[in-house]
Amino acid sequence: MKNKYTLFGLASSLFIITGCAGGDLETNGNEEADGGEDQSSNGEAIDFWYIETGEAEEAILNAVERFEEENPEYTVDPLQIDNDDYKQRLVVAMSGGDPPDVFHSWGGGWLEEFVKGDQVKNLSETQIDSDRFVDTALDNSTFDGDIYGLPLSLSVVPIYYNQEIFEELDLSEPETYDELLGIIDDLNEQGYAPFALANRDRWPGSFFYMYFAERLGGEELFEQAVSGEGSFAEDEYIEAGEHVQELVEKEAFNSGFNGMSYDEGQSRQLLYTEQAAMIMDTAAFPNSAMDEYPEFVDNIGMFLFPDIEDGEGDSDNLVATISPTWSVYEDSENEEASVELVNHLTSTETAEEYAETSQPPAIEDVDSDDPFVNEFNEHIENADYIQSVYDQALVPSLAEVHLDTVQELLGLSMSPEEVAKMMEEEAEDTRD
Amino acid sequence: MNMSSNYAKEGDPVTKSYIKKNKRKKTRIILGFIIPALVIYMIFTIYPIIATLNYSLTDWSGVSGESDFVGIQNYINLLGDSTFWQALQNNLFLVLVSVFLQIPLGLLMALVLFTPIFGKQLLNIVFFLPYLMSTVAIGILWLFMYDPSSGPINQLTEFLGIGMFDWLGDPNLALMSVLFVLIWQFSPLYMILFKAAMVGIPDELYEAANIDGANGFKQFVHVTFPSLIPTIVTSSVLAVVGSLKAFDIFYIMTGGGPGTATEILGTYMYDQAFINFNMGYASTIAAAMFIISLIAVIIIQYLDYRRKKKGILI
Repeated sequence: MKNKYTLFGLASSLFIITGCAGGDLETNGNEEADGGEDQSSNGEAIDFWYIETGEAEEAILNAVERFEEENPEYTVDPLQIDNDDYKQRLVVAMSGGDPPDVFHSWGGGWLEEFVKGDQVKNLSETQIDSDRFVDTALDNSTFDGDIYGLPLSLSVVPIYYNQEIFEELDLSEPETYDELLGIIDDLNEQGYAPFALANRDRWPGSFFYMYFAERLGGEELFEQAVSGEGSFAEDEYIEAGEHVQELVEKEAFNSGFNGMSYDEGQSRQLLYTEQAAMIMDTAAFPNSAMDEYPEFVDNIGMFLFPDIEDGEGDSDNLVATISPTWSVYEDSENEEASVELVNHLTSTETAEEYAETSQPPAIEDVDSDDPFVNEFNEHIENADYIQSVYDQALVPSLAEVHLDTVQELLGLSMSPEEVAKMMEEEAEDTRD
Repeated sequence: MNMSSNYAKEGDPVTKSYIKKNKRKKTRIILGFIIPALVIYMIFTIYPIIATLNYSLTDWSGVSGESDFVGIQNYINLLGDSTFWQALQNNLFLVLVSVFLQIPLGLLMALVLFTPIFGKQLLNIVFFLPYLMSTVAIGILWLFMYDPSSGPINQLTEFLGIGMFDWLGDPNLALMSVLFVLIWQFSPLYMILFKAAMVGIPDELYEAANIDGANGFKQFVHVTFPSLIPTIVTSSVLAVVGSLKAFDIFYIMTGGGPGTATEILGTYMYDQAFINFNMGYASTIAAAMFIISLIAVIIIQYLDYRRKKKGILI
């Protein structure tokens, strides 16, 4: 008798376990299957993938709500996907033929791969108003003169510093590279790590290389290297590599940076604990600080990467990342509505809300009372040229080589000449 | 009555058909049990393997509908690809570490738990704990353990006067650092396997050994260890295959860097498939991983087969 009950219990618990698992699987499957079905049957649901979290997510979901209010015949199925998983998920969805109608990207070379695969709607042929965007931001998703995505934010990259430390040591924002070197020496003497850097992810270190290249060679350098008129092995690139290594040798960074994770906040932590005094980061930094250590926010100052003597670049010019950029799937059943959703996602209203996260909009004339956004906007207005970061702008395989080689450059395991040579070799393969 | 007469006349055609019918019924029941699992296995394991082999012969970005058949060109490229060899070398190192450090350590922990040591229950939990954590959590945990300036490990080495190390950023140390985490994470798995196997060793063997005058160490060499050989073989297969398809902890802790210092086949395949848009080439790497694992398992099984045939032990 007892055995019978045990068996029954076991069986029912098994049933529950498998039942739950089955249920989960079904709902997971449904998220994707639903979109597909609805698309073909009544064309009313729009699948929408995005990666934002926190306040930024709210701004985006509010935009979705405004779209639904204006277009009651459509519903939007928003799906938030982790930044880390996103690239993989979208590639699989695209190759499986069941991608979302509206999707996030970072524009640039990565988006271009989908464009080449005929998976992305040419927005130039649709109802969009492209004049309202900052040119650089829109260029990032424009290929052969056609627009394939609309950007919301242009995240410029300044150098942030701890104002208290600068005051205490009587340091001021540097105008020239030599002054910056002086600051680095002073900070080292006082036991601070001058720059906090977490370069496991490779792109934080790449900012230095890009700024050196721009300040030395001007805006033409990169564009010509990409087109093949110039090359990634130009003297300026080698010099940029030498400067990066000069900084490493001057101990401008905290030790062990190549093994530290930006995503886990290992560089920002050094700033918050006053072990480091400066950090080169995107416009996302003040917002991260707001989340992680609000008391620190008032202490943040910023300046742009200084001028280098005899360099052709301009100290007003910027390096920036563009994210998010929204595109429409080529074979979307709800093309018009999807384009309309993208318009809502990049409206002035959305940009204003998004600016509350201290991220400057990629849309012109957006009012904001956020002091950081105003300072960013000022820099954007003053800039003659905005360099979109290499790992966005370049073809993905070349972007990988860039990130890998700059990491090795910083680790002093590759010479500037070797880096230039490897970049140029890969670039030759990618130029048609 | 009827039954017994049936059995008596075996040549009878009626009996034959009865047995046949019975057999068919049995076959049907067996099939009924096998088919659901078989169908799932075919769809989710066999088909993807074949599809991957198929993709590996194409030049396909993974996002466009078009793919060009290129024959074995991808395989030729693979053989000339220095990153592939570097990754393979790291993988083989990982295999060695798994087999020669993880398994012995698992065995040692299992042995400790079989001695009448004080606090055995606690040790049992402590030993097993790492295996229960999710790999992502472990990866992030150890990122902070290895933090160059404020990580506990460097605090300790500095306190001991050895100095501070750049555990994950130094190309010469990075692989070791990640492997240490892998050992820490997976040794408990082998511990559990060995514990289960040790419970199954008959007490009579130990009693007999005792009477013959074998002490603790001799008992281990002549009774425990030989009895565990089948488990060691199984563990080796698990360790070899597991190390060849490793991915997650490397992806989280180093992303294959710095440079290619901790690049393994899994991370290289990921980069090619999802970052560089070379799905065809990534499939070639996957196929190579499959073939290498298969060869490794065949070798281990063959050695085990020879050992059994010679009848050396058990």
